[in-house]
Amino acid sequence: MDHRRRLFAERRGRDPVSATSPGVPSLDDRPVALVTGSGGGLGRALVEAFDAAGWAVAGATHRGGRYAADLADPSAPGDLVTRVTAAFGRLDVVVANHAAMTMNPVDLHPVDDWWRIVETNLSGSFRLARAAAPHLARTRGAIVFMSSEWGVTGWPDASAYAASKAGLIGLTKALARELAPDVRVNAVAPGVIDTPQLQVDADAAGVSLDEIRRRYAAAAPLGRIADPSEIAASVVFLASSDGGYYTGQVLQPNGGTTTA
Amino acid sequence: MTPAGDPAVDRGRVALITGASGGIGQATAVRFAAAGYRVLVHYRSNRAAAEAIAAEIGGTAFGCDVADPDAVARMIRVAEDELGPIDVAVCNAGFYEERPLAEVDDALWDRTLRVILGGCFHVARAVIPGMRDRGHGSIVAIASELALVGGVNVAPYVAAKAAVIGFARSLAREVAPSIRVNVVAPGAVDTPLLPDRDRGPGYTSTVPLGRIGRPAEIAEAILHVAEAPWTTGAVYSPNGGVVIQ
Repeated sequence: MDHRRRLFAERRGRDPVSATSPGVPSLDDRPVALVTGSGGGLGRALVEAFDAAGWAVAGATHRGGRYAADLADPSAPGDLVTRVTAAFGRLDVVVANHAAMTMNPVDLHPVDDWWRIVETNLSGSFRLARAAAPHLARTRGAIVFMSSEWGVTGWPDASAYAASKAGLIGLTKALARELAPDVRVNAVAPGVIDTPQLQVDADAAGVSLDEIRRRYAAAAPLGRIADPSEIAASVVFLASSDGGYYTGQVLQPNGGTTTA
Repeated sequence: MTPAGDPAVDRGRVALITGASGGIGQATAVRFAAAGYRVLVHYRSNRAAAEAIAAEIGGTAFGCDVADPDAVARMIRVAEDELGPIDVAVCNAGFYEERPLAEVDDALWDRTLRVILGGCFHVARAVIPGMRDRGHGSIVAIASELALVGGVNVAPYVAAKAAVIGFARSLAREVAPSIRVNVVAPGAVDTPLLPDRDRGPGYTSTVPLGRIGRPAEIAEAILHVAEAPWTTGAVYSPNGGVVIQ
């Protein structure tokens, strides 16, 4: 626990370490972060960053493992939160990072696939927040929703993905007001990140992975795309006591692509 | 080929207004008819009201649930056969319900997304191919001031309305230059959806312009952005000054 976190805990008159669910012992003294989509490029960076900052991390991915969860399944978020709180005895932060994306012109996008993207990204994150909120209220915790630059600006042939990511910004602002002062709720809307996910963009544009990297880099004033660790740093900041006066906000680490 | 979005071209043609049996939708139907449009007055369940409005303005009432993509596609096919191609689509259908997070069940969450966001997606995917073939068209999605600033006990509504903005911004980029897509995000307006709490001085004293909006004022804004030839991807929020940012 860093110095400021301890100070803040003392000022509140409650110790976040001992503020566990009654009767359930914490495995150790670390605050607990649940990160969904932990198997992806950004997800792995998030797990590393929280771990390096001294957090216990429950990483959830649809690919399997101890916290396997398919967030497209309406029952998965509640079940996941139950498993994590049973294992750790507390929950301090939820990072809703899982996402599905396909690209298609709106009139050619199969309707069921369009809705699958919205329901996985937006509804899955909503259900996660709803299930986690009572636990987070007990620890004075935080939610970070992973939005996207495209959720701010829109993007051609990405209407489902952009709608879902814009919806997360709305959800951030609504839940920030509703859950205050117990739970802080913020979002991160990154620009293009150097992860394997870029293959979807490359395929949609009909170009190579290197070419799509080059194009996105050229479009950013900083002249490059983001390293996943740079985005993870924004998330850890919002989740930790350093970001303790942020709620209802959207951080946009994007290399300067949007300046509005 | 006619210039995209030229009001002289768009005017006097056909407008679809969803959720037009009352409130902002009704006022918009009336305003578009006064501007010379033939209006498709869409309703879900209030057929009598929609037919009365249609009769008053020389339009035609069509019923369907905008949450059902097939029903929307069917309605638009039938309507276009009868009245001609749709030049302006105003995606206005929606509902408002306040509930604390813990009491928002999956039924309310899903229904809110399907009606508010689906009402835009399902209409857009049905009208865009024809608009693109004809080389012009205009779509206006109705969001809410709450999508910009959030609100308490309205998470599904705010998320869905914010999603509408992201959807419309994507679409604006995707279907340009032949079709324009814009958003109107009204503040508190005197419609049946508005909670009584927001009609009293407790709320209106917080509004810089001192009162809630009138449906006709929102209708005027919708007509304007629908016809504004150099405007696309815009979010216009008439809200009495509640949101100044």
